[in-house]
Amino acid sequence: MTWLGGISFSAPWLLLGLLTLPLLWLILRAVPPAPVRQIFPAVSLLIGLSDQESTSDRTPWWLLLLRMLAIAALIVGFAGPILNPSNEPGRDGPVLILIDGSWAGAPNWANQIDLATNKISAAGDDGRPVAVVQLSQPEKPVFMAAADWRRRLAGLQPDPWLPNRTRVDQFIGQLSDARFDTIWISDGLNHSGREQLLAELETRGRVVVHQSAHSPLGLLPAQYDDGLILLTAQRSEAKGSLSLDVVAKGPDPAGIQRNLAVGTIKFEAGEIEGWATLNLPSELRQRITHFEIPGQRSSGAVTLADDGLRRREVVLISARQDREGLELLSAVHYLENALSPTTEITSGSLMDVLPSNPDVIVLADIATLATAETEAVGDWIKGGGLLLRFAGPRLAASDVGRQKEDPLIPVRLRSGGRTVGGAMSWGEPKTLAPFQENSPFSGLRIPDDVTVTTQIMAHPDTTLTERVIATLSDGTPLVTRKRLGNGQIVLFHIAANAEWSTLPLSGLFVEMLERLAVSSSTKRPVAADLEGTTWNPIYVLDGYGNLLDAGNRPGIAGPSLLTDPLNLDLLPGLYQSENRYLARNTLAADDLLSPANWPAHIPVSGFFVERELPIAALLIALASVLFLVDVLATLALSGRLAANIRPQTSSIVAVFLVLAAHSPAPADEHEDFAVMATSNVVLAYIRTGDSIVDRVSQAGLRGLSRTLQSRTSVEPHPPVGIDLEQDELAFFPILLWPITADQAQPSEAAYSRLNSYLRTGGLIMFDTRDANTKVRGITSPNEQRLSQLAEPLDMPPLEILPEDHVLSRAFYLLQDFPGRHNSRAVWVEAAPDNAERAQGMPFRNLNDGVTPVIIGGNDWASAWAIDEEGRAMFPIGRGSAGQRQRELSYRFGVNLVMHVLTGNYKSDQVHVPALLDRLGQ
Amino acid sequence: MSTTQPSLRERAEIAAATLPPLLVQAQRLAGTILIGEHGRRRAGLGDDFWQFRPAEYGDNRRSIDHRRSASGDIDFVREKEWKIAQSLVFWVDQGASMRWTSRESNPQKVDRARLLALAIAILAVRGGERVGLAGDHSRPQRGNQQLNRMAQALSIDLPDDYAPPEHDLCTPYVRAVFISDFLGKIDKLQIALHKMAAQGVRGILLQILDPAEESFPYQGRTIFDSVAGSLSHKTLKASELSDRYVQRLAKRKDEVADLARQTGWRSGAHHTDKSARTALLWLYQALNANST
Repeated sequence: MTWLGGISFSAPWLLLGLLTLPLLWLILRAVPPAPVRQIFPAVSLLIGLSDQESTSDRTPWWLLLLRMLAIAALIVGFAGPILNPSNEPGRDGPVLILIDGSWAGAPNWANQIDLATNKISAAGDDGRPVAVVQLSQPEKPVFMAAADWRRRLAGLQPDPWLPNRTRVDQFIGQLSDARFDTIWISDGLNHSGREQLLAELETRGRVVVHQSAHSPLGLLPAQYDDGLILLTAQRSEAKGSLSLDVVAKGPDPAGIQRNLAVGTIKFEAGEIEGWATLNLPSELRQRITHFEIPGQRSSGAVTLADDGLRRREVVLISARQDREGLELLSAVHYLENALSPTTEITSGSLMDVLPSNPDVIVLADIATLATAETEAVGDWIKGGGLLLRFAGPRLAASDVGRQKEDPLIPVRLRSGGRTVGGAMSWGEPKTLAPFQENSPFSGLRIPDDVTVTTQIMAHPDTTLTERVIATLSDGTPLVTRKRLGNGQIVLFHIAANAEWSTLPLSGLFVEMLERLAVSSSTKRPVAADLEGTTWNPIYVLDGYGNLLDAGNRPGIAGPSLLTDPLNLDLLPGLYQSENRYLARNTLAADDLLSPANWPAHIPVSGFFVERELPIAALLIALASVLFLVDVLATLALSGRLAANIRPQTSSIVAVFLVLAAHSPAPADEHEDFAVMATSNVVLAYIRTGDSIVDRVSQAGLRGLSRTLQSRTSVEPHPPVGIDLEQDELAFFPILLWPITADQAQPSEAAYSRLNSYLRTGGLIMFDTRDANTKVRGITSPNEQRLSQLAEPLDMPPLEILPEDHVLSRAFYLLQDFPGRHNSRAVWVEAAPDNAERAQGMPFRNLNDGVTPVIIGGNDWASAWAIDEEGRAMFPIGRGSAGQRQRELSYRFGVNLVMHVLTGNYKSDQVHVPALLDRLGQ
Repeated sequence: MSTTQPSLRERAEIAAATLPPLLVQAQRLAGTILIGEHGRRRAGLGDDFWQFRPAEYGDNRRSIDHRRSASGDIDFVREKEWKIAQSLVFWVDQGASMRWTSRESNPQKVDRARLLALAIAILAVRGGERVGLAGDHSRPQRGNQQLNRMAQALSIDLPDDYAPPEHDLCTPYVRAVFISDFLGKIDKLQIALHKMAAQGVRGILLQILDPAEESFPYQGRTIFDSVAGSLSHKTLKASELSDRYVQRLAKRKDEVADLARQTGWRSGAHHTDKSARTALLWLYQALNANST
């Protein structure tokens, strides 16, 4: 019988027992707990105290409720409740587990694998053979024992593409006619061929679909428009409004991958697309490698940036114009027009623009450069720059590169130029020869009307052929190139204006500049544009959207990079050809995510399918816990708990209290602690973990605090124990650190806090508590431990407390510094070497500041220790001499606190004679 | 008679059996304190050197210290420090109300009281004082024999609750140490103290309490009985009494302290869950402070 949705009972008639509960309520209510007899000598003080109310005669309602709950839990428990009763009747025959396996399933891939594992286990329990197929890489289903498949499941990974028609058809072709049931784990996205596959599968058996409730998100390629980056995200189902962060990632100047910018994508309710715009400075935009939606973990939520986002910085430098207004004759007019839509053009003197490290420098008809300029430009090219030179009348007239190769010109030049097809010359104007395979211009279509009438000639030598990347129809070089370091120098043997040729007037000129990566198109190239190019992957995406180094994956032909569907050989990623970068993203700009809609007769459920769970044992255990609580509560009510088993229960209760109290609001605790520690002077000691030592430290500082209160204007609050690992030290002027031989070494973090405490004026007083006793020349265990504990501390050089140390006169005049022991070996920071005793003064002019450490073994805390009633806790010495020693130890304590709080002002009395002298005058 | 004989002997044997452990314990406790010089800090009869002073007319010639006098022309007399033994009288409440502890890990109040009394007596004897018990009808004496006698007398349990303070000290001008929980009727303590103050007796009141008597950790329906059963009190909700009880206890403590102040005594409190040594140290200092 199913009841209360999701719970069924194997013996539901037992639930009738619940009817007896009201009866039990009435019976139990009438019986009060019995009184306790307690022997108590102070009863003489109780005589005459009457009770103010007499409610305890009846069992309190909450105790009754507790008992009722316990009995109810027992009754329900015996009725055999079962959680999530299974509604799938068992079947037999093989099972096919079909996983879409695309990027859309990557965010909850682990859940899909869990689900598949559960299903395989269930099939294994029923003895059914299983096959698993990932539809993004379909294979012929092989039905095997469940255990074999379970091991292989962990190896499945989502692919960064969707199953498409080709793959589905391929899979359908591989299906045999045998009957099997199908469990289809869907990514939630529709893909072509899904309906056909479903129909095919239904002819062979039952189909069950599991699909996540979350609709997948995709990020379309970023677009650059008018200075803004436009990011478009898609969701497969139009639900309510939603905003998402989108992050632009890229290396910072140190080369570390960081979030460069964050935008917010807003989906309006009912829309499947959302937009974000990012306005980034060019510098930052250049560095973006990809955009992603954080937390999505799928390659569809990542889109890579390529040249489409980049605007190259181009510097145009031409010879000085001595004529006004002749723009069409200007050396750079056509260059400017060709480049300005896609690049950022600057101009200026060469030495001024070089520090900004532009991508390209164009020298239009400039013949000679100064030596310094030549060197600077050479360095810049070696660092990856592109120097683009155009010939012209000046270059033709100069001697540059005649005798020997100029460092900034790719080839040697012949003097003068040549003119063909002009009014004064023989022959026809020359056309361009088709580009060679290895030329960067390979594949570009050459318009018929491009002619060259004038050019400068290269001097033929051995290196010429490999440097030519474009020639005229008669084989003379038109464009030459030389590589220099990481960069290159390209020379157009014609002028940049239309005087020497018609090339600058043609579209080919713009395409050539693009191929040279002088300009980069913001429009995505079409397949035809990339004819003849080969693109090497730099990094690729896996299904989760991780950027992986491409390693030595093969290059891809340009047209297929754009048009082929993604597959194992063509992964989404960033591809490079020459200096150009092109990204192939998981989602193309015109992709549309649509949800997978299943016919009504196909059962669709989520990834989390609860297994059938009998909860009778749970309820009976709950009932017994409730009864146990009832026993404790009854004992507590009648007072027996307190008298008999308090130590045990109180520790149990304490554990619960600790568990309960530890989680909430530790910030408040810290704050209270800070307020407590800073609202007044508080002496502090370091808890060693030895409860006796800690108690003595507490009592000792209590005694010292009380002495300070009665004798000085320092009125400390009660002392506190410090846990080195947790508590803030900076609030305390002095820390007492008693050393025990088995004390734990503090952590690194604690030491760094201690060191900063010492450097900022804190004082730590180490007390080995053993009066520096040496047994047969061996240092005591406490001292050995001290040296280990203090080793990582930033300690100054130490010396035995000199007679004229300010500690000996900070408040009282002291010669000894006894505690419970009276050893003279008390160490403090050493005085500087140059400290000298002034004429007629009893003490030296010592260093300023407070000694950061005091090390001794006189067990001061024991000497100071008093209990709550102000009585000394430990005897000292013999009789009245002991009392004197205790008094001196208190005085030392007072001096110590005075020294810490007031610093070395007593040392300043070294100047008193001089001051008195002046006053006398 | 035949029935009383064995019971008497039995009781004596039981008392004697507890005696050595108590003595040993008290001696161990007393061993934690080293007694020092105990002079009167003025010249008088004693063994220890006090000062040299020039010989005056009337000094016995035998008292001239020749070693000191030989270094000059003047004769010096060597004076000794005056030492005088004091008498210390103890009263320990051995009523039934003292034979109780709220927790087995703590000693009974009476045990702690006896231990402290005996330990301070041992210290006093070592310091050369005479000790005795109030109501003993004998003068304070010194020596281990007296300690044994005291130990024996201290191991007698009285059958009734709240024993009245003993004020028959036999000797005027002695020092007294009264140890009890002072939970009985306060007027008896008042009478005893005033009477002793009239005799010039100064001393110390040490109130020993069990921690449960301070905190009153009881709840629910409870019937409280005194140890001997002479008093009982019934309540339905003990936790409600707690506040008023604590007030009453504080008032009682104030009364005891007031009484002590009026009569020139000192008073202190001790709890059985605290170390006996602390209380002993306080007692010892309090006695020393009064003695000079």
